[in-house]
Amino acid sequence: MIKKDVIVIGGGAAGLAAAVACREKGIEDILIIERESDLGGILKQCIHDGFGLIKFQHSYTGPEYAQKYIDQVEERHIEYLLDSMVIDITNKKIITVVNKKGLKKYQAKSIILAMGCRERTRGAIGIPGTRPAGIYTAGVAQNLINLHNYMIGKEIVILGSGDIGLIMARRLMLEGANVKMVLELLPYGSGLPRNFNQCLFDYDIPLYLNHAVIDIKGNKRVEAITMAKVDRQGEVVLSSCKEVPCDTLLLSVGLIPENELSKMAGIELDPLTGGPMVDEYGQTTVSGIFACGNVLQVHDIVDNVSLEAEHIASGVEKYISSLLKLKNYISIEIGEGLRYVLPQRVQYLADDTTFSFRVKKPDNKKQIIFKNNNRIIKKRSFIRVNPAEMIRIKLTSSELSDIKHLKVELT
Amino acid sequence: MKKEFICIVCPNSCSISVDYDKQEIKHIKGAQCKKGEGFVKNEIKNPLRIFTGSVKCINGNYQLASVKTNKPIPKKYMKQVAQKTHELFLEAPVEIGQVIIPGIFGLDADLVITKKIKKISI
Amino acid sequence: MNKDKENHFDVIIIGAGVVGCSIARELSRFKVRVAVLEKESDVGWGSSCRNSGVIHAGFNNKTGTLMARYCVEGNQGFQNIARELNVPFKKSGKLVVAKDNSEIAELKRLKKQGELNGVNNLDIIGEKEIRELEPNIQGIAALLSPETAITSPYIYTIALAENALKNGVRFYLNTEVKNIKKKANGKFVLKNKNTDFRADYLINSTGVYSGEIARMAGIDRYRIYPCRGEYYVLDKNASSLMNHLIYPVPHIEEGGLGIHLTPTVDGNVLIGPSNEYIDINKRNDYAVTMEVLSKLCKEAQEFLPAISPRDFIRNYAGIRSKQTSPLQGGYKDYTIEESEEAPNMINLIGIESPGLTSAYPIAKKVVTMIDKKEKLSTNTDFNPYREGILRFEEQDEETKRKLIEQDPDYGEIICRCEQVTKKEILQAIDNPLEARSLISIKYRSRAMMGRCQGGYCQTRIMELLKEKYGYKWNDFLLRGTESYMLTGNRSNGVKAYD
Repeated sequence: MIKKDVIVIGGGAAGLAAAVACREKGIEDILIIERESDLGGILKQCIHDGFGLIKFQHSYTGPEYAQKYIDQVEERHIEYLLDSMVIDITNKKIITVVNKKGLKKYQAKSIILAMGCRERTRGAIGIPGTRPAGIYTAGVAQNLINLHNYMIGKEIVILGSGDIGLIMARRLMLEGANVKMVLELLPYGSGLPRNFNQCLFDYDIPLYLNHAVIDIKGNKRVEAITMAKVDRQGEVVLSSCKEVPCDTLLLSVGLIPENELSKMAGIELDPLTGGPMVDEYGQTTVSGIFACGNVLQVHDIVDNVSLEAEHIASGVEKYISSLLKLKNYISIEIGEGLRYVLPQRVQYLADDTTFSFRVKKPDNKKQIIFKNNNRIIKKRSFIRVNPAEMIRIKLTSSELSDIKHLKVELT
Repeated sequence: MKKEFICIVCPNSCSISVDYDKQEIKHIKGAQCKKGEGFVKNEIKNPLRIFTGSVKCINGNYQLASVKTNKPIPKKYMKQVAQKTHELFLEAPVEIGQVIIPGIFGLDADLVITKKIKKISI
Repeated sequence: MNKDKENHFDVIIIGAGVVGCSIARELSRFKVRVAVLEKESDVGWGSSCRNSGVIHAGFNNKTGTLMARYCVEGNQGFQNIARELNVPFKKSGKLVVAKDNSEIAELKRLKKQGELNGVNNLDIIGEKEIRELEPNIQGIAALLSPETAITSPYIYTIALAENALKNGVRFYLNTEVKNIKKKANGKFVLKNKNTDFRADYLINSTGVYSGEIARMAGIDRYRIYPCRGEYYVLDKNASSLMNHLIYPVPHIEEGGLGIHLTPTVDGNVLIGPSNEYIDINKRNDYAVTMEVLSKLCKEAQEFLPAISPRDFIRNYAGIRSKQTSPLQGGYKDYTIEESEEAPNMINLIGIESPGLTSAYPIAKKVVTMIDKKEKLSTNTDFNPYREGILRFEEQDEETKRKLIEQDPDYGEIICRCEQVTKKEILQAIDNPLEARSLISIKYRSRAMMGRCQGGYCQTRIMELLKEKYGYKWNDFLLRGTESYMLTGNRSNGVKAYD
């Protein structure tokens, strides 16, 4: 059994940033395990720009952003395995890895989970109809176009106004396809405002809010979809059904943190985020196993992934130095209107901690208030809040000291 | 002609609709401040965008090199630049920042490579 | 019965479903020249791949019917066949659960019927025992059938075909019979759009199309009423919710067994099937519908409240070939017969549930019918064994280690969700029937059947097809001819300056 101080599972944005940050903290013995043939994760196929506005005050494309971290990994000679899949992980931090060279087991002092997320599928949301060729989740389409140089369709309908769908709408139009419309179930768009401008309005692609796909037609290849309005209770308004001829249905209906390995290790997941329950250092309910990036919570901008990953490095370093003894944690209570808060619990109250939130629906003129037993310890005002935009608020260690009961409210 | 925008100047993200003829604005509705109006005016008069796309690359560990214009270009050139990317190919190795077409279509922007591709022996 | 011409056969089987492939295999035990014509791009794409995979014990079928006889015989012989063909098989057992006292009489009737049919070990258990066996299920009484088993219906069909192929049967996929002519000497000529086939005997095992195929030969008496069943497939997480197959007490008039919960051999759970008659012109419409899906979901949750839509990963549908109309309801017994209009053509009509279980006895019956006329001689080269694709995921760690040492292709995991390796996918691609659609690869390797439904592995499988077989964009087919996954290449390029 090979021993390692830190094993990072996943060499995408989160894993790379975490590994580099761990090295910065002085940890030498790090191993990144990546299942693909190259580092970079999903960034490899995100050829659009908008990455790095916060971290680097510059708009990079996905591959450029990834290369910044890959360069750092190479410069610092951080060890990594490619084409290697972790197939098992125990709560004793033993990892089983499979690759062409064989099946190997590693004993890690600490593990950083950075496996990212997968896309929600047609099957998971139960869209009725047939199952012909031409139904793709946006990420798979992006992969086929941007990495494999294929065209996936000519007449496209996109379901879901999340960022990936919007980005793909633009890409498809520029590549000569016709994106007929974007349908969104909710009464508001799920993606970032700038993507609506630059991906839909620029190309006169109509956006239909409060709409669903209730049928797919076509035996061998998609021939049409049926769109329908959805009322406030989420019921389909049958009289509004309209058949739309097309040859492709692109799905951008949500991302699910990929926590199969986390479950194997006995880590407790938060049903609100789909990711592990963590403390302020990103440590999960299994001591010494940390999580960051999309596997912890679905992010909108990669800069926050990097910041999150960099932060947990201090926790990992403390853990390895045996400075993180398990204490009684305080669960954070969230008020109405908030979908979730991360971290879900605090234990040590010794460091500045950045909390991440998402609201349940878009709204104007809101405040987020942190309370310790009804005493307000922090207040932040927002002109506008939007579920598509993660909110991050930092509390200093002094603001956090003496916390007995922490509640976050949206008012 | 009617068009809608989401203003990206501040977090208000005002939904602004504009009525215009060619580049002359007849009516703006929905902006809560002058900056929003300014944003929309600019979008009508001289909208600029960064183009991102990909170009075929041979003999490399990736068959496509992602590319971008290193400065925003007038929106109306986007499709032409996209078409251009179909007409080129590169040979590995290529580096990030490498210029493929300086001053594309006579504009003040170069088409540059955004992906590092290593050469592989066949 | 020697035929030396290319497309001349002693027996042509039309329809490569589980019944057609069983018959093919049974015939290959004899010195007979057999061909199977199948209109789809792979075997089993009709009802055979689209059912619950249950090897029924035989208590649901009326005593004295062929259905009852073949079901019991098929159930009792299945373990042996599964072993020969390397097909998954699990005796999960079934519970038919009564919700209230009015249903107990039916349980008793089923038990009696089962015993008359020859089913072993049936037992009626009470509330407490139900709770012990199945903590998540509530009922006041249940019929326990330990002999009810599950298999993988598509692996079974594929295995039958592969073994038949190995033993000399020819398979013609993408070959639709358009026309049947009877010659004066009683033999048949079948026309496909490109080729003519000739046969002394015809077997019509075409499921929902069997009425139409019979009509091509001049037999106009069979009427098929297609009846669609829709399903939900649940994530493997849901498999911890039950151990047995869980069925409600059936209502005969409905003509189905009611919405039930079936664990699969791979660890998923199936909800369904539903039961809707559809128009004969829509007999190949495998759509799932909004109304039925919500009904399935609701009824399943009533049965087992712990089921959550979060566990749903896929839907599919199958179509039963019923011989009873919506007004008649219920079942009609299997029709396996020759006719005056076309002697030497054996028509198999109305092979609905328990068709999967009955496939082997039905095949033996058909062979007997031919043997009576022809006195078939044994094929001494017949080999009953077929080896499937070894599943890496099922092996223990030491075996996994050894496999990778022997063949590094076992070390590349392509399908993350189901832990399917490159080796298995290559074997699936390289299948002896030469079925190369993505669905064919999926059924044989299990890749793309997990919770991400190909989100990770689909593009990698396409890469493999390109790398090993030189696939061009129009070679990627999801489910057979014209099922193009792509519409072209993105760009080809002319040289740029350096």
